[in-house]
Amino acid sequence: MFGNFLIGLREGLEASLVVCILVAYLVKTGNRRRLAPVWAGVGLAVALSLAFGALLQFGSSTLTFQAKEALGGTLSVLSVALVTWMVFWMRRTARHLKGELQGRLDAALAVGAGALVVTSFFAVGREGLETSLFVWTAVQATDDGIRPLAGALLGLAASAVLGLLFYKGALRIDLAKFFRWTGAMLVVVAAGVLAYGIHDLQEADFLPGLRRLAFDISATVPPDSWYGTLLKGVFNFQPDPTVLQMTVWAVYVVPVMGLFLAPQRTPRTPASRKETETARADRATGAPS
Amino acid sequence: MPTRPHQMPAAAAALAAVTSLAGCAQKAAGGDGAIRVTASDSSCAVSRTEFPAGRLTLDVANKGTTVTEVYVLFPDDRIAAERENIGPGTTTSITAEIKAGDYAIACKPGMKGDGIRQKVTATGAHAAAKRSPAADAAVAAYRGYVLAQARETLPKARAFADAVKAGDMASAKKLYAPSRVGWERTEPVAESFGDIDPKVDVREDGLEAGQDPAEDWTGWHRLEKALWQDGRIGDREKRLADRLMTDLNTWVKKVGQAQITPTSMANGAKSLLDEVARNKVTGEEERYSHTDLVDFKGNLEGARKSYDLLKPVASKNDPRLTAQLDTRFDALNTLLDTYRTAKGGYGFTSYDQVGRRQRKDLSDAVNALAEPLSKLAAAVVK
Repeated sequence: MFGNFLIGLREGLEASLVVCILVAYLVKTGNRRRLAPVWAGVGLAVALSLAFGALLQFGSSTLTFQAKEALGGTLSVLSVALVTWMVFWMRRTARHLKGELQGRLDAALAVGAGALVVTSFFAVGREGLETSLFVWTAVQATDDGIRPLAGALLGLAASAVLGLLFYKGALRIDLAKFFRWTGAMLVVVAAGVLAYGIHDLQEADFLPGLRRLAFDISATVPPDSWYGTLLKGVFNFQPDPTVLQMTVWAVYVVPVMGLFLAPQRTPRTPASRKETETARADRATGAPS
Repeated sequence: MPTRPHQMPAAAAALAAVTSLAGCAQKAAGGDGAIRVTASDSSCAVSRTEFPAGRLTLDVANKGTTVTEVYVLFPDDRIAAERENIGPGTTTSITAEIKAGDYAIACKPGMKGDGIRQKVTATGAHAAAKRSPAADAAVAAYRGYVLAQARETLPKARAFADAVKAGDMASAKKLYAPSRVGWERTEPVAESFGDIDPKVDVREDGLEAGQDPAEDWTGWHRLEKALWQDGRIGDREKRLADRLMTDLNTWVKKVGQAQITPTSMANGAKSLLDEVARNKVTGEEERYSHTDLVDFKGNLEGARKSYDLLKPVASKNDPRLTAQLDTRFDALNTLLDTYRTAKGGYGFTSYDQVGRRQRKDLSDAVNALAEPLSKLAAAVVK
């Protein structure tokens, strides 16, 4: 039962965190009315995954292994693009927030809202198919009765609870800190998703080098331990990554993290630069803007 | 406030598009065709190790306490099919489209390492559809060859067994290597039965875990050790000589019903060369008698026979490959024959007399042949 619990926890954790960060962001910026589309995205992803998984598990057709890996890999790469976009979008809108340019924030949110739905849809849908296959398998398990299913569902519930706790904590800390920390964390999460997607594509033989491991510490961090599960669930940490995975991970995380942490001075026009600098100078001197 | 509802269908459409691009497959019409894989924390039991190529369904049950993964692997470790997240106490099925050839089914309890592997073979049901009269002729001729080898082996093995039973150490030693030649020439066919090879040709270190060498070790190499290492023939050895004959008689009976396809012939030729590279060139096979080169010759002749029979088919599809194979077969054979003690006979230099440099040369020539030989299977079913 514990093994099934850990699978549920691992599969649910990342989606739960991404969605909770999104929700926390909307709540903290006073945009609760935009929560509905996010939940719609989540709900649609869950429903689609469960339906599709049930079709594969109980129906007469099945996905070939390559198709499944290609699907997983492609969804991962799309997810990474969306989460990366979300990080920088949050960062940009945060600036408007500080500048108290409510009109601009609203405009940005209007542009972003639809995309937020897609992001939440992908965050959940990415692992959704595999998770639902796993859940349906547990439903079908006969030898062990209800226990595999109970374990799986408890694991998923635990991941939701962890996400909720994260959300509660996020509400308490100050907005600037929240942006910095969740943003940086999302960059690392996205890098993990990317590396995971690369592994899927390597397994399907669309990319080479599945057997060229960068290192293997699976003896120290067993993938079926609780800490291995948490690391995998949040950061997609893999104790035995391939060289290509490590390379892609680093190639993504270094520049993106650098861009994210770099001071914000990339306004599009000289005019807006001036505006920003004035605002900053005003804040620095404490003068009213 | 506009929420851009059109984005939702867009996301769903993207998922659907990826799915249809990636491809669905029809599940096998369940039941009898499926292979049961029973995974535990320390084992990976497979209900059948041979099955027809085509749609493969694995019914996996995880009876262990940890999460496991099950893979179907190509010989070069590429993944043919896989299923992750098989929780303890759950069952699941894996479906894959499998071409004829050798595979391994691997269970990975704890989701790490190379997994516990079982060798399996997909036999050429697919190739059958494309079979040409030339390929059929090759198969028929090879079946005849295998049968003849088995029949010729029996009297030689009988002479060896009789010498052992008579306690005639000198004769037994002399008759040992020749008694094995027919077996070595056609070994892949015998191996395809699964249960005979471990009885007659296993080495002490090849016994399965839990088998007791004193009780369970039978066959040629057990007698080889008695003759060369222990230097004595006791009652047990005499009984083992009878046992060897019983097992070899079973072999001869089964050979007639062996499933042989152009693919299995080509793969068999390759596996004979692999045998040479793994066991003969290293001197592991005949570690007491040092008659490795006799086995070497047998393996090579068997591989050559398969190849010669397949050549009319293969040369049409890949003439450059067959030209290369001709050259490399000849080169290896010429090199090997320099170790013959008498021209035309089956006497070869004792392998402990072959130096490291010479072993390296032999190994290089074997590898030079094995590489193009691995492409033969593809060339005969093209």
